[in-house]
Amino acid sequence: MRRVLLGVLVAMSGCKKAQDSKAPAPKEAAATRLVGLVTDIGGRGDQSFNDSALRGLEAWAAGVAFKGGAHAPLPPAAREATIPPELRARVRPVAVKPLVVQSKVQEDYQPNLQLVVDQGAGLVIGVGFALENAVETVAKQNPDARFLLIDSPVLDAKGGLLALKNVRTVIFKEHEGSFLAGALAGLVAKERVGFVGGMEIPLIKKFEAGFKAGVKTTNPSARVLVQYTGSFDNVQHGKQAGADLLSKGAEVVFHAAGSDGSGVIQAVKEARAGGAAVFAIGVDSDQAHLAPEAVLTSMVKRVDLAVWQAAADLEAGALSGGDVIMGLAEGGVTLAPVTLDFPGKAEALAKVEALRAAVVSGALAVPANDEALQTFSPPSH
Amino acid sequence: MTAFVLALFDSVLDAAPALVFAAVGTTLSERAGVVNVGVEGMMRAGAFAAAASALVLPTPWAVLVGAGVGAAIGALHGWLCIWARSDQVVSGMAINLVMLALGQFLLEAAFSSPSGTPPITQLTPWLGHSPLTWLAVALPFVVHAVVQRTPFGLRLRAVGEKPEAVAAMGVRVAPLRLAAVVASGALAGLGGAHLSTAVLDRFEHHMPAGLGFMAVAAMVFGRWRPLGAALAALFFSVGDALRLSLASSAPGLLEVVPQGVLLAMPYALTLVVLSLQRRGASRAPAALGRPYDPEVR
Repeated sequence: MRRVLLGVLVAMSGCKKAQDSKAPAPKEAAATRLVGLVTDIGGRGDQSFNDSALRGLEAWAAGVAFKGGAHAPLPPAAREATIPPELRARVRPVAVKPLVVQSKVQEDYQPNLQLVVDQGAGLVIGVGFALENAVETVAKQNPDARFLLIDSPVLDAKGGLLALKNVRTVIFKEHEGSFLAGALAGLVAKERVGFVGGMEIPLIKKFEAGFKAGVKTTNPSARVLVQYTGSFDNVQHGKQAGADLLSKGAEVVFHAAGSDGSGVIQAVKEARAGGAAVFAIGVDSDQAHLAPEAVLTSMVKRVDLAVWQAAADLEAGALSGGDVIMGLAEGGVTLAPVTLDFPGKAEALAKVEALRAAVVSGALAVPANDEALQTFSPPSH
Repeated sequence: MTAFVLALFDSVLDAAPALVFAAVGTTLSERAGVVNVGVEGMMRAGAFAAAASALVLPTPWAVLVGAGVGAAIGALHGWLCIWARSDQVVSGMAINLVMLALGQFLLEAAFSSPSGTPPITQLTPWLGHSPLTWLAVALPFVVHAVVQRTPFGLRLRAVGEKPEAVAAMGVRVAPLRLAAVVASGALAGLGGAHLSTAVLDRFEHHMPAGLGFMAVAAMVFGRWRPLGAALAALFFSVGDALRLSLASSAPGLLEVVPQGVLLAMPYALTLVVLSLQRRGASRAPAALGRPYDPEVR
C-alpha cells in the first residue's frame, strides 16, 4: 500500500514538474515561503550561535516568537527591540515561515537537513561549522534545494574550496571584530592586556592577530599576554588561564575559547569582587549576561544578519550560491554595546568608531595571522 | 618570583579540590573491591544537583545535595555491582553515559537552556578560598587514617583483597562494600559540587569535562592509597597550572617548545613516573572487579 502511494506521489510530482516548467511553482509564488533551520547540538537557548541564527530567522525575518512549542506573531515593537539600532532601517520583515529542527547528536544533522528539504523548504539553513559535511552531502543529493551554511566554507576531501551552486556559505572576518576589541582594550588598560584562546588553531589565531593589532594601534606600549587553554569545553582551564593573566597584571582579558571562556569571565568577575579594576571581553554573542559587572563588551558575530540576509535574498529571488565573507563593512562582526563605565569612555568609544570607519573604508587592513601582524603598522592619528 | 609562586598556589587551591575529592573517593570504592569508572558521571550529577538546588536552597545545603545525589548514584552502582553482580566497568560507563545525557535533558527541561543553569550564589570564601578547598586539604588525611588505622578500615581493605576471609570472620561483605561505594559517590558528588559552586557560579553543560577520568588515573598513579591519590591529583593540578603559567610568562619559550608539548606535559610526566615505579609496587586490590559470591570457592 505504502509503495503504491509512493508511486502515485512520485507520478504526481513528476506531472507537477512538467506543468511548472513555464510558471514558478504555486508554492513558491505563495506569499510565505518555508525556510528551514537545523541547529547544531547547542540548540535553542545556547545564548550564542544558534540563538543568534534563530533570532535572524524568527524575529527579524518572519516576525514571530517561539513560545510554548509553537510560533506566535511578535508585535512590531517587540520585533524592533531585538534588532540593534544601526540595523533597524535595513532589516525589514520578510514573508517567510520558519521551520526549526533541533539536533541532539551529530548523527542528526544529515537526516534533519533532509527532513527540512522534504518539507519543501525554499531555503535550508545549517547553523555552525559542525554541519559542513552534512550540508555538503544533502546539497549534492538535492540539487534543487538551496542551502545556507553558517561559519564554514564547504571543503572537499583535500581541504580545498568546493563550490556547490545551491549552497551559500558565510564566514566572518573575526580578526576585524577582534581588532576593535583590541583597540578598546588598549584604551581601557594602561600597561597590559590579555588574550585567552582555546585550541591553538588558525581560526583562533585570527582572533589573536586582530586583537594584538588593535592593542598596538591604540596603546603601542602595552604588552599583550597570550594564553591558550588547549580546549573549548573546560571551564576550569579557562578560569586558571584567566586568573594567571590577571595575576600578571592584565587589566582587560579577551577570550576566544568557547566554554573555557566562561571560566575566563569568572576569573575576571572574582578579581573585580576582590577590588581589582579589570574587565573581560566576550566572544561570538553578547556575553554580558554571564557577568554584567565584568564584561566590557563582546566581539559579536552577526549570525542573525547573515540568516536574515539569506531570507531576504530568497524573497527577492536573489539568493546566490558561493562564499560570502562578512567583516566590519558588511556588519558581520561588531562589538556589543559598552554599558560599563570607565575613565575616558566617550573619547575611547569615539576612537574605536574612527577605527571601525577606517577598516570599513578599506584605509586600514587588519592582519589575520602572525605574519601579517609582523608587518602591520598602526595608523598614525 | 614570589608573586609567580603565590599565583600558582592560588590557582591550584582553586582547581585541585574537585580532582582530590574524586580521586580519594575512587580509592575507597576500589579498595573495597568495586571498580568505579563512573566517577565522571557522579561528578556531573553532583555538579548539576548542587547548582540546581542552590537556586532554592542556601549554597552550603546545595553542596550537601550534590554530595547526596553522588551518593545515591554510588548506591545504584553498588547495587548493580554487589547484588546484581553486573560487570563493574560496564556499570560505571553506563552511569557516565546516562549522566551525560540526563544532564543535558534536565538543563533543557528545567531551564530551557542547553548551555547551563542560571547563576547561583557561590560558597562564601573562607581565608580566600572556598571552604571546600580547606576540606580537600584535610580530607585525604582523615580518609587515610580511617582506611589504615581503624578496624573498619582494615575490614574495608580486607573485602577488597580476600572477601572470603572477611565472611569467615562473621562480617557481612555486601554492606561493607556498599558503604565504600556510597562514600565514593558522595565524594565524587562533592567534587562536582565544587566545580559548580566554587570554580564557577553555575552548572556549565560540559562539566566535569573529563576530570572524572583524571581522578581514576590519579588513583592508579597514587597506588590505590588515599594519600597517594590526593598527591597524584595535586601533581596533575600543579602540572596544569604550571603549563598555563609558563605559557604566558615566557612567550619566548613557546617558540622553542611548541604549545602541544606543554599541553601534553602533565600526561607525559605521568607516563614517565608510572614507568619508573617499581614493578608490582602499584598493585591493585586482589579482589578488585570480582563480585563476592559465598557459594563460589
